[in-house]
Amino acid sequence: MTTATHAHADHEHHGPPSGLKRWLFSTNHKDIGTMYLVFALIMLFLGGASAMVIRAELFMPGLQLVQPDLYNNLVTNHALIMIFGAVMPAAAGLANWMIPLMIGAPDMALPRMNNLSFWILPAAALMLILSFIVPFFPGGGTQINTGWTLYPPLSLQVGMSMDFLIFAIHLLGVSSVLASINIIVTIFNMRAPGLRMIQLPIFVWAWLVTAFLLILVVPVLAAGVTMLLFDRHFGTSFFIAAGGGDPVLFQHLFWFFGHPEVYILILPSLGVLASILPTFSRKPLFGHHSLIGAMIAIAALGMIVWAHHQYTVGMSLAAVQYFMIMTILISIPVGLIIFNYMMTMWRGAMTFETPMLFAIAIILMFSFGGLTGVMLAVVPADMQYHDSMFVVAHFHYVLLPGAVWGLFAGVFYWLPKWTGHMYDEKLAKTFFWLHVVSFNITFFPQHFIGLAGMPRRIVDYNVMFTEFNMISSVGAFFFGISHLLFLYIIIKAVRGGEKAKARSWENAQGLEWEVESPPPHHTWTTPPTIKTA
Amino acid sequence: MMSRPEYPPELRRKNVKLALWVLVIVILMFITAVPFWVGLFELATGLR
Repeated sequence: MTTATHAHADHEHHGPPSGLKRWLFSTNHKDIGTMYLVFALIMLFLGGASAMVIRAELFMPGLQLVQPDLYNNLVTNHALIMIFGAVMPAAAGLANWMIPLMIGAPDMALPRMNNLSFWILPAAALMLILSFIVPFFPGGGTQINTGWTLYPPLSLQVGMSMDFLIFAIHLLGVSSVLASINIIVTIFNMRAPGLRMIQLPIFVWAWLVTAFLLILVVPVLAAGVTMLLFDRHFGTSFFIAAGGGDPVLFQHLFWFFGHPEVYILILPSLGVLASILPTFSRKPLFGHHSLIGAMIAIAALGMIVWAHHQYTVGMSLAAVQYFMIMTILISIPVGLIIFNYMMTMWRGAMTFETPMLFAIAIILMFSFGGLTGVMLAVVPADMQYHDSMFVVAHFHYVLLPGAVWGLFAGVFYWLPKWTGHMYDEKLAKTFFWLHVVSFNITFFPQHFIGLAGMPRRIVDYNVMFTEFNMISSVGAFFFGISHLLFLYIIIKAVRGGEKAKARSWENAQGLEWEVESPPPHHTWTTPPTIKTA
Repeated sequence: MMSRPEYPPELRRKNVKLALWVLVIVILMFITAVPFWVGLFELATGLR
């Protein structure tokens, strides 16, 4: 179904306010989107710095750079920062920028709450950074050495940093929930007249599904960490065996959030691909309706498979069998999405600008990660893979191609719209190749050392794993450098470049391409007239 | 004062109403986390 649109030119009555007030008190979805994206970029570098220290330490066996507790803290922080500080805010930034433009709405449904959702994040980031710094001071206690999963009893024994982290997680949760409420209400209530739900772009549907996932599972994480806080300070025994509790209960609470969280990370990026592939294939998106159904199926199934992260804790046979079968079933709707995207390209008149390069790389590499995911889903096999570097390789193959590259692709795709300038295509292609090749050098060897028996989250390892760890660390070094090139490309595009048209890409479809590049501060103050072909 | 679109009152009411209903889901998920998941956990593991 195609939607032809007839746009009205929008002229704002006055420009945006100037100075700090513009950003601090903004209720404008474009400015808030920009702030989310800038925040995410800063956190990407912070999380990346942790990863660089990790890989530097793992370059050779033995302890070279950091003490074990600090190393484990870096591992913990790398995950927390990347997941909560980089990917989720970047996806929220894309949502803020694009959803109102795509649905013909003047702004988000609750603009002031939108402002709050963003400004909670720097406070949360501060709490996270404090949790890292506190142990360096007398009385600060031990670092958070639990990994991002924060399992008790270890997380009950960690020093004061844990309390800062729990507070940070509460704040992040509130931000995500408020943003999700805003997105749901915007999509339901603020569409242009005549724009039916089924006509919405897949990116909008992806975020609608993601927002529902967030509101269902983030409160459970909040409850879980609150129970940790109570066990730490208020004498309860939710997770303390001696008091009648059970540490495994925390694992269930955490992973009930944790598994849907990976779909929360991935769905918006898969939604971005649905915008990019038709443009650069010069063909309509294949299977619009089935993509919607598949995303809903992924979300629904994703909520009932959490314990595949816990196969080794001692659950009953019936339980592990159930979780195994349901986990394997998720590959069906995911496969549908991949096949639909491939069919979109099939016999298309393709060109390979950077967003398209990333889209193709995503389809290939995310599928690799999906394959290793099905391997991990098999319970007897997972008895060997669990907590090994094989898992680390798996999730980096699904999260980097699946989540991060989708965001990169979206940034390159929509940067001409946001800034009014085309980015430097040659530099961007250089970035793409450096990034993707070094990614593979970093993470592909980790499959093999994992299968050979190297555990994850360890600061030192058996000498037999040395060579592949060295290869991985060298890859990681170039991978880290590639992000500096990314930063340069963004800054260069913001500052200037070839002027971008309203329809910045030749075959781009959608309401966002009907407004100028860059769009005026207020768009769609008069809603577009929607005509359906 | 920041310039922002002024939504008509009935749209504002509609938005706030839907937002509050969604918030009810959030609060319910938080409150039921403990008893519900303890129960399901016991069922899954066969403990106690």
